[in-house]
Amino acid sequence: MNEMSPTGFMSVDQPVILTPDALRARIIALFNEMWREDREDEPVELKDDTILLETGFDSMAFAVLVARLDDELGYDPFTMTEDPVYPQTFLEFIEFYTKCAPKPE
Amino acid sequence: MRSQAGVNASGDTVHCKALNTAILDLNLADDHALLISPDRALYVADLPALAVAGEVVAGKAIALCLTQPYALITALLACDGHAHTMLLLAPDLPPATVVSLAEQAGIDLIISDRSDIEGAVSWPLKGEGRALAADTDTRWLLTTSGTTGMPKMVEHARASVTRGVRASDAARGARWAMFYDPTRFAGTQVLAQALLSGGTLLVPDANMSVTDAVAWLVEQGCTHASATPSLWRRILMAPAAGGLSLKQITLGGEIADGAILMALAARYPQTRITHIYASTETGVGFSVQDGKPGFPASWLEQPAGDIRIAVRDEMLWLRPPGGIAPRASHAEQDDEGYICTRDLVQRDGERVLFLGRDDASLNVGGVKVQVEAVEQVVHDHPDVAQCCITARPSPIMGNLLTLSVVPRDPATDSVALKREIKVWCKERLPRPAQPATIKIVAEIAMSASGKLERKA
Repeated sequence: MNEMSPTGFMSVDQPVILTPDALRARIIALFNEMWREDREDEPVELKDDTILLETGFDSMAFAVLVARLDDELGYDPFTMTEDPVYPQTFLEFIEFYTKCAPKPE
Repeated sequence: MRSQAGVNASGDTVHCKALNTAILDLNLADDHALLISPDRALYVADLPALAVAGEVVAGKAIALCLTQPYALITALLACDGHAHTMLLLAPDLPPATVVSLAEQAGIDLIISDRSDIEGAVSWPLKGEGRALAADTDTRWLLTTSGTTGMPKMVEHARASVTRGVRASDAARGARWAMFYDPTRFAGTQVLAQALLSGGTLLVPDANMSVTDAVAWLVEQGCTHASATPSLWRRILMAPAAGGLSLKQITLGGEIADGAILMALAARYPQTRITHIYASTETGVGFSVQDGKPGFPASWLEQPAGDIRIAVRDEMLWLRPPGGIAPRASHAEQDDEGYICTRDLVQRDGERVLFLGRDDASLNVGGVKVQVEAVEQVVHDHPDVAQCCITARPSPIMGNLLTLSVVPRDPATDSVALKREIKVWCKERLPRPAQPATIKIVAEIAMSASGKLERKA
């Protein structure tokens, strides 16, 4: 199945390498985008100590967030580690993505 | 094995003669075209010459693997009634698979126009000029696509291939489109119906696109066409589709949902539209003629034909005529002779609607989601031409659904359409059944049997 136009969803062949700050900004932007798709109120502010499951996002929403990040970044850290990882705070979530990010050659 | 006249459950005599003999028995004019392809045609007058080629295969177990459907059907007409066994192989099978299936079936001779199959002889065959009577009750071996890669072989007596043929004065002169691969069961049904009822089979070349094939069929005055709902959605997208002047449309192989039935009825208001339900487990099925999805719930009490229908725990059970043993050895059968089809259905007022295969469900966060039911909801969206759900493994939910959509208008704003479909699904589906990601694509892959390929 081939993507039809560059206007919509962008699929990546090569993993996208971002600085930790850029990665954080990207995750927050996607979180906010998904929030606004589903709800009328303003998205909660994501701070380092924000408990992910207290944001109003349930596990289904986080699964979708992880899938969309995989589409954008080209990797899914949850499928890259042997040990099950359950990030609880937003900081842990970011750190998990940073740790698993592909390193520049 | 000698031919014998057979009688089916409803008491009609069924065709057991070799196809070529049965066609000659129809006493059609010598210049009646049996097959037409873009560059060739086969007439009644050509049949005796084909029988000469059949002499070469007399008593042998043969496999036919030909890249052009026209060649495959011609070879089939030549060999049926002469060969002991005829294994029909899809044109795109890998060479190792062809050889392996031929070995399993004890094949003496592989007939193929492919250069990558070792030891195959080419078609047409050269006979010595003697035409033998086509009186062998040839065993037909067809393949079904196995989920594990290696196709499974299913044996059919010729009578079971020709059982569904309806011959009538109206059927004479029908010009049938050959959309199916003739090596598949659905393909053999179409060719038997066209050829044994005095019609003509219009056979597009294998390399023609659906768009080109439809344009060619319009030129050829096609009147009857049978295809899967997936293929019908694609046919409706072909610019020439409006030019088809059809008397009969048949849908089979997949669930015919309300959206495709309504789209066909709107495009072809004068056409009779039939959808067929067939069950591999029971080896039987039924057709629905009223143009609505599913079938009338009244059939549960008063069956329309000789098959009895029951619904238990949302599962469809059928009792074949005479309560014959199930075709598939793993099928579940009760004391009254009902066989579980493993197809899920739902009672909706006066109708019973098809939901999909029991095994075509995905676990999303512990909830069983029926993928075909989700596709039906998306097909109802006015801007969707085709769609397909695939599973996307999710470490958190087990699976998520990815939806691929072919828009009706290729120039559509894909971002806006994705947003609309998302809202559409949200209003109509429980949360786990809502696709996690939506892709707008130019086309969706179909298998050789014309069904959606749900591989991710």
